Amino acid sequence: MGRFKLIVKAISIGKVTEKYPFVPLEVPEGFRGKPVIDPEKCIGCTSCSNACPPQALQVYDEPERGVRVVHLFIGRCIFCARCQDVCPTGAIKLTKEFELATLSEEDLHQFVELKMVRCEECDRPFDTFRHLLYSAKELQPWEREMMFLCPECRAKKVSERLIFAKGGGGFV
Amino acid sequence: MTVILEILKGNDAKILRHDEKVILALVPNDKLRTTAELLFKAGCYYATGVGVDERLLGVGFSMYHIFNCESEKRYVILKAVANNSKIPSITPIISGANWAEREAMDMVGIFFDEHPEPLRLILPDDWPEGVHPLRKEFHYNERPPRIEFKPPKKEKKPGVMEVPVGPYHPTLHEPEVFELHVKGEEIVGAVYRGFHVHRGLEKLAEERMTINQIPFLAERICGICGYTHNCAYAQAVEDAAKIEVPERALYIRTILLELERLHSHLLWFGVAFHLLGFDSGFMHTWRIREAFMDLAELLTGNRKTYGMNLIGGVRRDIDEEKKKKVLEIFEKTKKETKEVLDNAAGMKELTSRMEGVGVLPKKEGREIGVVGPVARASGIDTDVRRDHPYAAYGDLEFKVPVYKEGDVLARFLVRYEETFESFWIIEQALDQLPPGDILNEDYELPEYAVGIGATEAPRGEDVHFVITEGGNKVYRWRPRAPTYNNLPAVPIMLMGEKLADAPIIIASIDPCFSCTDHMVIVDGEKVCRCSLDDYLRRL
Repeated sequence: MGRFKLIVKAISIGKVTEKYPFVPLEVPEGFRGKPVIDPEKCIGCTSCSNACPPQALQVYDEPERGVRVVHLFIGRCIFCARCQDVCPTGAIKLTKEFELATLSEEDLHQFVELKMVRCEECDRPFDTFRHLLYSAKELQPWEREMMFLCPECRAKKVSERLIFAKGGGGFV
Repeated sequence: MTVILEILKGNDAKILRHDEKVILALVPNDKLRTTAELLFKAGCYYATGVGVDERLLGVGFSMYHIFNCESEKRYVILKAVANNSKIPSITPIISGANWAEREAMDMVGIFFDEHPEPLRLILPDDWPEGVHPLRKEFHYNERPPRIEFKPPKKEKKPGVMEVPVGPYHPTLHEPEVFELHVKGEEIVGAVYRGFHVHRGLEKLAEERMTINQIPFLAERICGICGYTHNCAYAQAVEDAAKIEVPERALYIRTILLELERLHSHLLWFGVAFHLLGFDSGFMHTWRIREAFMDLAELLTGNRKTYGMNLIGGVRRDIDEEKKKKVLEIFEKTKKETKEVLDNAAGMKELTSRMEGVGVLPKKEGREIGVVGPVARASGIDTDVRRDHPYAAYGDLEFKVPVYKEGDVLARFLVRYEETFESFWIIEQALDQLPPGDILNEDYELPEYAVGIGATEAPRGEDVHFVITEGGNKVYRWRPRAPTYNNLPAVPIMLMGEKLADAPIIIASIDPCFSCTDHMVIVDGEKVCRCSLDDYLRRL
């Protein structure tokens, strides 16, 4: 009995196979596809590289060139959108693009280079301009004068001040 | 309540944790076997065992035996500390502990006194002796040198042919080996050898990843029921850290877990039909399944890897529009699923290939500790959703189908009923979806707290065991996929059956070999070129 019913069913449904790739495939709103970094918005804060589970996003400094590189390799990406969640400026977004097959591996890399600030004391590049500006609004007025010092020099200066400050020396 | 505590107290156990979910007790080594036996007789079945290198905590090597006590709605964990790397084996009493103990033997280097079969389970034959990957001095990217290995000569029995099924075989979709011994057409013996795709996922997680990164790794344990692993891991950490999850998040988890069960069961029906030669049934079930994949894409942003969980909740909300869409699709698919499955169940030539084939008796099933549809088809009434309510299952109403026949047809029917229960659960959950937050990020991870998370995966009970390290790391994470408990039952099912029935019997447990082996692909670094002596000295 079952088989005839199935034939009727199959005929009434017809073909369900989509004509893809000859017809584009629609994906719903909120689909997690290829991530793209907007170089205009990126501040190089390393939030994304800390959150990225497969380390597809890596952020490293190139001190001799004075730049911070944000490197996205889609070959490792798992499309989890954690980078999008944690990005403070909305610079990284997952697009609807999913056709990522390519003949050359280079297509899978995106590099964003951000200019770095050199430390006023030791001349070592320590942070990007944009990140410094972004965090400047959070700073207390007394911290602002040490804004252009690298963390090490800043620590040194703070401890020097503590030692030579009025009345402070006795406790150190 | 009292029975378990009496057993533990009667055996000088020190109770380390006791709440409504877990009883954790430190048992002296000489009393371990009697305690385990008494627990087993009291109706607790063996879920899994976890070997942990606790030398950094000043304890030494320890073994956690996890028992599922359905009657008391608790997990009982017996902790035993190795004395001179030795712990008495409980395998002679509970055969289900066999694999877990052998795994601890391989990975942590604990030796089990009087283990009946102290052979390697996970490590390959060319792995050097004395190197245990889950010890803390071993790093995740190390590749020790290989040793020479000669396979032992096998004795040939007269009249018995050996038929290897796997590691690459058309009826297995993953690389595992079943060695079938056949006499004519009849199977007289079966040996399973697996763990070909073990990639050291636990090590990777504890050494390189943070707690909120691991859910995404856990999701990749399984290619079908990944979300349930993701959930079980999140629940384990939430249990260890006592994190409160918003109610709305729990409901969203439930909806997605059941959606996963729907597509997983339909996938299984398709595979089973295909193996039985009913290919049009396979095409129809997979056509219906496509609607659920699209639904998952709509709700989570991807067809399969939902990526929805973080510790403390979920990442995406379900709004009214999506809710409407789900119900709309359900109305159509429910009818179609019923049509196709009823049609198949009415086909005599299909059911007669499943009836009375691959029987697993209840007693054996209990001893091995089979879970999920395999257990329920053998008359074992167990379901984590009902026995240890997690997510929102405590508030929802559903039936747990149980059949006593224990054959392939019973497993088919259990899954058939479960499919429609899943529709019903999702409809209830969508209807009752409470308002509120979906993520609680206000928590702190305690140091060295033990947590356990269990979910009912489409294949059965999925247990994740976590020891936290504080900060944002885990000290030990052990996922146990349901197939880990179900596979040892396959040789019993195969015994005495026809060779032609072997594929459907193996498939009837809905095996997920790679989950059992914890598969995840890690960049293969070069094998260490140094000599073995140098390597061991360095370690």
